[in-house]
Amino acid sequence: MSETPDTTTAQETAATSAGAPVILRDPLVVIDRAGLTYTVRTRPPSDESTGMRWTGRVQRMRTTSVEALKPLSLVVRQGESVGIVGTNGSGKSSLMNLITGRLRPTTGIIHATSTPIMLGVNAALVRTVSGDDNITLGCLAMGMTPAQVEAKRPSIVELCGLKGKLHLPLKSYSSGMASRLQFAIATSIDPEILIIDEALNTGDAQFRSRTQARIDELRQQAGCVFLVSHSLGTIKNMCTRVIWIEQGELIMDGEPDTVTAHYRKYTKLKSEKNYKKAAAHRRSLQASLAPLTIAWR
Amino acid sequence: MSVQDSDSAPAGTDSDVVLIDKRPFVRVGARPNIFRYIGQMWSYRHFILFDARARVAGSAANDALGRLWMLLNPILNGATYFLVFGVLLGTGRGIENFLGYLIIGVFMFRYTTSSVTAGSKAIVGNRPVIRAFSFPRATLAVATNVRELISNIPTFLMMFVLVLAIPPSEPITWAWLLFVPALALNFIMNLGLGLFLARLVARWNDVTHLIAFGTRAWLYLSCVFFSADRFAGNEPLTALMNANPMFCVLDIVRDILLYGGMGDPARWLVLGAWALGALVIGGLVFWQAEESYGREQ
Repeated sequence: MSETPDTTTAQETAATSAGAPVILRDPLVVIDRAGLTYTVRTRPPSDESTGMRWTGRVQRMRTTSVEALKPLSLVVRQGESVGIVGTNGSGKSSLMNLITGRLRPTTGIIHATSTPIMLGVNAALVRTVSGDDNITLGCLAMGMTPAQVEAKRPSIVELCGLKGKLHLPLKSYSSGMASRLQFAIATSIDPEILIIDEALNTGDAQFRSRTQARIDELRQQAGCVFLVSHSLGTIKNMCTRVIWIEQGELIMDGEPDTVTAHYRKYTKLKSEKNYKKAAAHRRSLQASLAPLTIAWR
Repeated sequence: MSVQDSDSAPAGTDSDVVLIDKRPFVRVGARPNIFRYIGQMWSYRHFILFDARARVAGSAANDALGRLWMLLNPILNGATYFLVFGVLLGTGRGIENFLGYLIIGVFMFRYTTSSVTAGSKAIVGNRPVIRAFSFPRATLAVATNVRELISNIPTFLMMFVLVLAIPPSEPITWAWLLFVPALALNFIMNLGLGLFLARLVARWNDVTHLIAFGTRAWLYLSCVFFSADRFAGNEPLTALMNANPMFCVLDIVRDILLYGGMGDPARWLVLGAWALGALVIGGLVFWQAEESYGREQ
């Protein structure tokens, strides 16, 4: 499942010339010109007034729209592991939030064959209740029946390694312990479309090896996987395809080795403060990217 | 060209067109129609009950006296109102069994206030769970209301005990069973209001301040510590009072517990209409914004 499906066999009809429609087999996620623009309330950066009345400040609050993700199209198929790279603030997380359905794109549309599940450790669950109850709550929230929860519980307890502490309320846990618990809960189901956030690589060495094993297991069972990571080594090891997003735009989409090499060059140029060269590099790559058009039938 | 090897495409390719069969796909995060939504809520009933129960247990953990506050709070409130309105201002003159009248008013009103306030925070108070899992969000509002109902059971029992114990003590009659449908209608109305307000609060957090003010104003306008007889002769005020669902709740419960009646049919009708109307309108309003609750405002 980890090897790249052969493109020629995947096509039911072969394209005779560039631009001719191609029928793709087994697509699981189709992103059709999805973009995200959000508005935030801001205050002008400089506050020149000293004796300004409070009401005056309120009036000067204004809304700014931020284009987090420019419209982009992608098709991800059965068996693909897609790595997503990009510098901080490039729009990776926005894209992941769109794919899970947590945020709705402001333009375009995203289709999937089943609900994508995101593994992230961004937040604890319900702080006032015990770890045990959080396991039950989380599993029920994922749509399990009480019997299924009890069947899964031993493996969750085993994975989080918090045996003996699960009767304590979550607020008494360290952030590492809470994230281990959340990871164990979130990975207790086997999703068809799986999204893994880079933040999973937290925790001590022992837990990390356990999470790694579980992620590998899930990857093998899942139909397709999205992996967001800053570690290019992880991406190259795990992925069959890499997407590079920068400043909300798709820059590259292709073989892991090729894309990570170009991305590495870009970040190196940037860290050397060679911004012009970095931008030129990015733009030339982007120009050679053939835009994808999705036709529904 | 297929999506797979778009990066190796020769420069100058205009555009890749892929044709995709729409049949197996659903839009991610799509809100189901209202009937399917209700069906989904039913399949999440275990989640609702467990969430409600777990939080009742967890909520009192911070106080040394724990759940005793569920009783102490309305008793202290009632004592204050008795001192101010009964003794100092004398609003209770002419009310038969004023102490019982006041106790029912304070205890029942407290249930509605806490339910509506908690229900309105069902989204903003649960963002971590909302971001972590995808499930029908209205389950959170239902769970909050069930939690408030469960945690108010000792309060209701205390209310019965006080009505029986404080002279003139009232006899228990079969009509007391009517307390259950009255409470059920009150619950449905609170749920509807909570759903409606939860959407508003999720969008504009400022609404919480208005809710605090609104419930307070409602308390003063619902004959909690004075009799509706003082409006006799003032048509518009009487009509307004008769249309006030909380006045209906209090009047029905007082009639049942104190005055040996079964509740005025007109009051039951008004309360029933409010309960049904609030649930339908609140439910539809909440459901409409289902896709937006993952977004931070």
